[in-house]
Amino acid sequence: MPVERASGGSSLIDVLDRVLDKGIVIDAWVRVSLVGIDLITVEARVVVASIDTYLKYSEAVAQTTTASSRPVDGRAHEALLAENAALKAQLAAGTRAKRRRTE
Amino acid sequence: MPEVQKKKRGAKASARARAKEGAGARALAPEVPADAGPKPEGGARGKYVYCIIQSGETLRFGPLGIGADPADVHTVNYKDIAAVVSDTPIEVHDPTRENVLAHERVNETVMRKYTVIPMSFGTVFKTRDDIVELLRSAYDAFHDVLVKMQDKLEFGLKVLWDRDVMIREIERADEDIRNLKNQIGAQKGSTYFARMQFGRLVDAALQSMSEKYVEDIFEALRDVAVASRANKPIGDKMIMNAAFLVSRDKELAFDHRVKQIGARHDKLTFKYTGPWPPYNFVNIRLKLERAKEGK
Repeated sequence: MPVERASGGSSLIDVLDRVLDKGIVIDAWVRVSLVGIDLITVEARVVVASIDTYLKYSEAVAQTTTASSRPVDGRAHEALLAENAALKAQLAAGTRAKRRRTE
Repeated sequence: MPEVQKKKRGAKASARARAKEGAGARALAPEVPADAGPKPEGGARGKYVYCIIQSGETLRFGPLGIGADPADVHTVNYKDIAAVVSDTPIEVHDPTRENVLAHERVNETVMRKYTVIPMSFGTVFKTRDDIVELLRSAYDAFHDVLVKMQDKLEFGLKVLWDRDVMIREIERADEDIRNLKNQIGAQKGSTYFARMQFGRLVDAALQSMSEKYVEDIFEALRDVAVASRANKPIGDKMIMNAAFLVSRDKELAFDHRVKQIGARHDKLTFKYTGPWPPYNFVNIRLKLERAKEGK
């Protein structure tokens, strides 16, 4: 079939697929902090938690198998899940602390 | 980090439940108006960040920014790198169609002239100084990635097929499967096991057919792309959901190649998009850490 190229912005799904969690990501809970209280320059600084660039042209065969199981992403995902759990615990602690203060 | 955590005690408990959904920006978005409630300033202005580029001078890109009244897009510079930003109210932006497309529109515009490291959607900083601090703190990372992504563009290629057409194709091509199908048609009594067997054979044939297609397509694009990533296909019609990183000087060659592949496979449907900022090839995770005393 004839293939036509569509510009990036023409498909919302393709845009969402990219912009929500790819590129430079600042942890979600940090965003909350940023909105709430002056943070960065006053009391905290930005640190780089991880950088990956995917510059190799992987073997096509390996790609087909990873398309279903995605072991590499899976690992990153688990790390994220663990981090997420830790952050949620922190959030919970923070919220309880606030409740105690406000009561 | 425990110190930092205290700073966001304003977050509501429901933020935890929502955080389970995974997508940070979206998950936390509804919490913030409540979170922002106690803040003294009502209409405070922050800066929404779209991407990081290499530039020693201040640039303006025009009124393209996020928001109902598109704000002027400009840079905040630190040394030879710059954040592309626009002024915005301090709030978390919901990933609505308008907002998400505005984010993408800015990045596409900037990308025409500059190598871009895209920021994920929804990052707002309070002040210009905060952004300078971001650039300063992560300078090495940004600089390194900017060099690696120099003059490279991302393209998306999704390949879909029609399962039914493919099954007919398989029945035509595979004698065993064809025979089995004919047997089922002719057989009296229960055909349950024969049909199970038929289903298994067809599934296996579909699977190996799709792998073959995907492998061929990756292979055909290998010498015109710098890198590729296979994302998980979405839905049962999609057999390939890939992103390719392509040098600007190979863009035409890549384009021709994709069209050739399309011409070669008349039973497949191709969704070819781009150029994109290299979202699929850059992953920089940042977090906040308590500043050292006396910094």
